[in-house]
Amino acid sequence: MSLFDVALRNFFRRRLRAILTVCGVAAGIAAFVALVGFSRSFENQWMRVYEDSGTDLVVIQRTFLNTSIDESNVNTIRALPEVERAVPVILNMMDITPDTNALVYGWRADSFDMDSLTIVQGRRYVEGAPEVMLGELLAETLGKSAGDVLEIQGAPFKVAGVFRGGSALETGAMLMPIRQLQNLADLGDKVTAFHVRLRPQKAGETAEQHLAKSREAIERVLPGLKAVPANDLAANNQLVVLARSSAWGTSLIALFISAIGIANTMAMSVLERTKEIGVLRALGWRRWRIMRLILGESAILGLCGGVLGLVAGIAALRILAALPATAHIIPSAIPLTEGMAAIVISVFIGIAAGFAPAWRGARLSPVEALRHE
Amino acid sequence: MSECVLETRAVTRAYDCGRIQALRGVDLRVSKGEFLSISGPSGSGKSTLMQLLGGLDAPTSGEVLYRGVRLSGTADLDSYRGQKVGFVFQAFHLLPTLRAVENVQIPMFESNLSCRQRREKAEALLGELGLSARFHQYPNELSAGERQRVAIARSLANDPEILLADEPTGNLDTENSDNVMSILAEIQAKRGMTLIVVTHDDRIAHSAHRNIHIRDGRISTET
Repeated sequence: MSLFDVALRNFFRRRLRAILTVCGVAAGIAAFVALVGFSRSFENQWMRVYEDSGTDLVVIQRTFLNTSIDESNVNTIRALPEVERAVPVILNMMDITPDTNALVYGWRADSFDMDSLTIVQGRRYVEGAPEVMLGELLAETLGKSAGDVLEIQGAPFKVAGVFRGGSALETGAMLMPIRQLQNLADLGDKVTAFHVRLRPQKAGETAEQHLAKSREAIERVLPGLKAVPANDLAANNQLVVLARSSAWGTSLIALFISAIGIANTMAMSVLERTKEIGVLRALGWRRWRIMRLILGESAILGLCGGVLGLVAGIAALRILAALPATAHIIPSAIPLTEGMAAIVISVFIGIAAGFAPAWRGARLSPVEALRHE
Repeated sequence: MSECVLETRAVTRAYDCGRIQALRGVDLRVSKGEFLSISGPSGSGKSTLMQLLGGLDAPTSGEVLYRGVRLSGTADLDSYRGQKVGFVFQAFHLLPTLRAVENVQIPMFESNLSCRQRREKAEALLGELGLSARFHQYPNELSAGERQRVAIARSLANDPEILLADEPTGNLDTENSDNVMSILAEIQAKRGMTLIVVTHDDRIAHSAHRNIHIRDGRISTET
């Protein structure tokens, strides 16, 4: 019999209380798994937008990501020897119909971003023409297919094609010629960013050095702008940061409530077992062993809650991933590291929440504990 | 003169800011291998004296010495309680979630024995006390006499030099009381241990090598 066995027996002593506490922890961990899983998926979708198109750098305003950069700057970027291609881009949220709000990308018809898309109906739009392309999900939502006409803010646009993108953000988005979007949104000749594809690095130069050198070159010729590696931009995108912050904030509140549940259970348990702790102390158990016993019990509570919460969180993600409305943005599985993180967090919560009751138990005087009724 | 293992020098113990004087200057020497009984009316201070001798509590004034070393303040009391002393309580105090053989292993957690060695030793002790068939019973599945025998086995787990029994027959009928006392006396004789028993029972008091009677926190008679 080990100390763990003793802790395990105590865990099963008050089954209903233990089960309820485990359920509380499980709820917190499930929220963590589902919300953080969602935010990670959202971030991944952004990364795929850039990865699939082969964008190395994104040139944006130094202060805010807004549509206020002169389109003509693209020529300055293209003139740099490190740059293979550069295209202007507009990114906007738009009410396409009174009920449907979607991401709208303004791309040139010959933009290299187009190459990553698969046209499943129709064709690419023609530059300058009043045409749009719809992502598969958005086309389904709007009930439109290639050849249909879509009225946007009072102006008719022909649906030239329907595409499938590598990212859910593209699949749920609309593409339109950049000039059309500038006119529609009254943006003049302003754009949101430039997507830049770099030439291959020279021999003896690492990818990082090449990227850093190219960034410096762009920022030198366009001092008001900054060139950001595409992956960094995806990770630090304001929407991604907001989603990540919300997910972690909500999860932390849920986990904190779980910790209070464990602390309460363990405090009750120590109080009820005061005499037993006195017996253990009388039989020579050191304070540290008493602490380990109580912390072991709270860690078991956390672990059981963590495992149950992980299963519940994965189940929730699977259900969401199967629903048409969320299928494209919700992952049906979570990475192993995230699952392990959930378990480690739950055990840590258990130990942290059990610390005060364990400290109290360990500090009991044996003779007073034995007298306790 | 026989070897002294435990000694109290002018020991007092007060509670409730001095309003209750449980012990009022007790001087006592206990020899190695001695069977000492401590008797007295309820509230006389005999259990308090037992707690001080067992390192469960510290005196308000005076000294408790184990082999000439002061217990309070200097010695490692956890180690003293775990290795030098074995306790038998009136209410048995077995852990309800553990089987008999597991209860006996509890004091051995602080020893260097492996899980297997602890188990083997616990089984041997229970066997010695006639409980070979009861290894896997939980305390609530045992009779009162059996529970006290498990508690005695537990008290012997670390081969202590001193056995302290606080009213060990207080919750037992006459037959079981006699049985438990004969076991304790046999263990004391066989192992050469020092046995100190707190009791109300005159028969136990008279069966000891020496009896001290405590009244109002003082040793009133010694026979």
